[in-house]
Amino acid sequence: MKRLTYILLAATLAALLLAACAPAGEGKVSGVPEECKADGSCAVIKPGQTIKIGMGAPMTGDNAAFGQDISQAAKIAVQDAGEFNGFVFELIAEDDGGTPEGGAAVANKLVADPTVVAIAGHIFSGATLSAMPIYEAANIPMMSPSATVPDLTKKGSPVFNRCVFTDAAQGKFAAEYLYNTLKITKLAIVHDGQAYGQGLATVVQDIFTSLGGTVVSFNAVTPGESDYSAVLADIASKKPQALYFGGYTSEGVVIVNQMKQSGLEGVIFFGDDGTFGQDFLDRTGANGEGAYSTSLIPPASDARTAFDAAYLENYGQPAGKLSPYSWTAYDSAAVLIKVIKDVALYSSDGNLYIPRAELVAAVRAVKDYQGLSGTITCDEIGECSASGPVFNVVKDGKWVEAPK
Amino acid sequence: MPKPIGPARRIKPYQVIQAVLGAGFAGYLLWRLYQVFIAAPEYGADTWARFLITGAILGGVYALIAIGYTLVYGILRMINFAHGDIMMLGAFGGYFVLETTRSIPIGSSNFSDAYPVWSVLAAFLAGVAVATVSGYFLERIAYRPLRGAPRLVPLISAIGASIFLENAAQLLFGAQRRDYANPAVLTRGEGWTLAIGGTDVILPYTGVLTFVLSILLMLALYALVMRTRLGRSMRAVAENKQVAALMGIDVDGVISRTFIISGALAGAAGVMWGLHLGLVYHFVGFIPGIKAFTAAVLGGIGSVPGAMLGGLFLGLVESLGPAVLGINFQLKDVIAFGILVLVLIFRPTGIVGEVLTEEKV
Repeated sequence: MKRLTYILLAATLAALLLAACAPAGEGKVSGVPEECKADGSCAVIKPGQTIKIGMGAPMTGDNAAFGQDISQAAKIAVQDAGEFNGFVFELIAEDDGGTPEGGAAVANKLVADPTVVAIAGHIFSGATLSAMPIYEAANIPMMSPSATVPDLTKKGSPVFNRCVFTDAAQGKFAAEYLYNTLKITKLAIVHDGQAYGQGLATVVQDIFTSLGGTVVSFNAVTPGESDYSAVLADIASKKPQALYFGGYTSEGVVIVNQMKQSGLEGVIFFGDDGTFGQDFLDRTGANGEGAYSTSLIPPASDARTAFDAAYLENYGQPAGKLSPYSWTAYDSAAVLIKVIKDVALYSSDGNLYIPRAELVAAVRAVKDYQGLSGTITCDEIGECSASGPVFNVVKDGKWVEAPK
Repeated sequence: MPKPIGPARRIKPYQVIQAVLGAGFAGYLLWRLYQVFIAAPEYGADTWARFLITGAILGGVYALIAIGYTLVYGILRMINFAHGDIMMLGAFGGYFVLETTRSIPIGSSNFSDAYPVWSVLAAFLAGVAVATVSGYFLERIAYRPLRGAPRLVPLISAIGASIFLENAAQLLFGAQRRDYANPAVLTRGEGWTLAIGGTDVILPYTGVLTFVLSILLMLALYALVMRTRLGRSMRAVAENKQVAALMGIDVDGVISRTFIISGALAGAAGVMWGLHLGLVYHFVGFIPGIKAFTAAVLGGIGSVPGAMLGGLFLGLVESLGPAVLGINFQLKDVIAFGILVLVLIFRPTGIVGEVLTEEKV
């Protein structure tokens, strides 16, 4: 942490020096730009100030790990952004506790600072929802790395965007993968009867049917039980080629372990991101071989390798350990920084002018940005994760990326 | 019992409702049976065989746990809600023994795989010992001080004991779910292959072990209650504590022993649960406990054969019910509890509980 402070300090000093040395008249514009004449229409960053990116995250309490991880990953993006016309970026991560009231409080605090230009967050959907109208009034764009409640983008907010896929997107991609890539035509679906699992299962059912496949069985199990062999025998009588499961590891493991004895030997198990992880491997052993699952961990790339190394070096533990959102967190800050750089006007008076309304529009217009988590292209409602999830398959007792 | 003397019996309104309801359900059931077996068979013989195997094994475990409820109820007229948690402790006892035997290397193998019979036997002994001791202390600490208190008081104490045991287990062993390390020959999911209707149906070794062992334990218990001196004193205490005490029976001693026996059965059930289903964590006793309680009421609480029948019946209904009625398996508990309601409407004393209960009342 100390090191980071030094880096920031050094960068700030360098920025000061450069700003002081920068000869007047070298900026893009001279004087106050036209679009910034109106009061409050632009963020004005004076020499010596930083371009601030805000974040509302749970930094204390039960979910502190999420806030810690996401803010750490976003800080790496800020470091990587380097210097821009003598200015540096800074991440201001405020503790919103992940709650709606905390979200509104943090939003009010952040909009009060005239040098906060964009928000990489918030982290939890509830906090995001209460913060949205406040940023909307202040013309500050948001890019959440982790708020996945589908409704958030349906509120009609021009400022809210996210670069994480929602449950609805996950279900859609899973159904397409099953039908197009694995060539499954007869699918059985099981869920755990809870909001997350049942929601996913319903999406998969709808999309899979619309693609032309047949859902031979749609069933639910009671969470917490340790014997699902009766329902599995029922499913086996319908002769599916694959079984999609919407739910968490606890129940998924029981299902995988009982598939053989229930007559589902050789049927592909396909789980969601709630069944991904080491625990699944440990507890299914040989039974888990060939099972599929979904994850936020991006496909291997040079950029990801570099990020993973930087994260490990800075924080002493691997990315993705504290929360699965490390990579989208980096992307959310990085894409905001890129758009800010595009929109910002460096003036001959030494100030950096960032037109707020243009920034909001530019974030919504992001297209084909190559992030760690895949391609980021925002649609008209602010869903920016265009690549969807990564599917994994168990091979020799390890999760490996499934072929596309 | 003399027949009531008086005017000719009149049919009461509730009896009419009972008859209509009964006829309705019976008719629906017959129609469904006709549908699934003759008109439009949805499942092949292999699937029915799988349902039967699943139901019978689960039913055996339910029955074994239900006996613990019934024994205690018969004697103390209270529901020992912590019984499922005693089972959980037994399951943990067996778990740690199997983990230990697995960690002892013998050549290239380990003790557990080399001597599976001894390992499993040791697991059962440990599970039974842990559950027995817990059962004994449960009675001494949570119930004995409340002897003679109104009936609700020990019930609340039982619920408290249940919560205490669950949380104590979580603190001791952690909240993570653990998997039973079975000896290689008893690998879960492996078993004899039966060719039924042209398809292979697996009859799991662990399931057969569970079923046979629970039947044997139930027969042994029945012999104990019916044939031994202890059994006779238990029955005497169940009939009437005061009179039994006057006859020279050590009532507290008998109650203690009843808890020891019911704890031992729960411990055995816990280890079987672990061996067959493979899952053990601090909350694992809750659902089987509730189900076994239902089974005990279904069979007629207070009656040992009733608990056996009720357990097997409940297990089979859970696995066959949704298939016969053609509804989602998520509703299996609704069917199980629906049948409980029906039984309570038509035979409030349970399937075989009538005679016994009338004598006691």
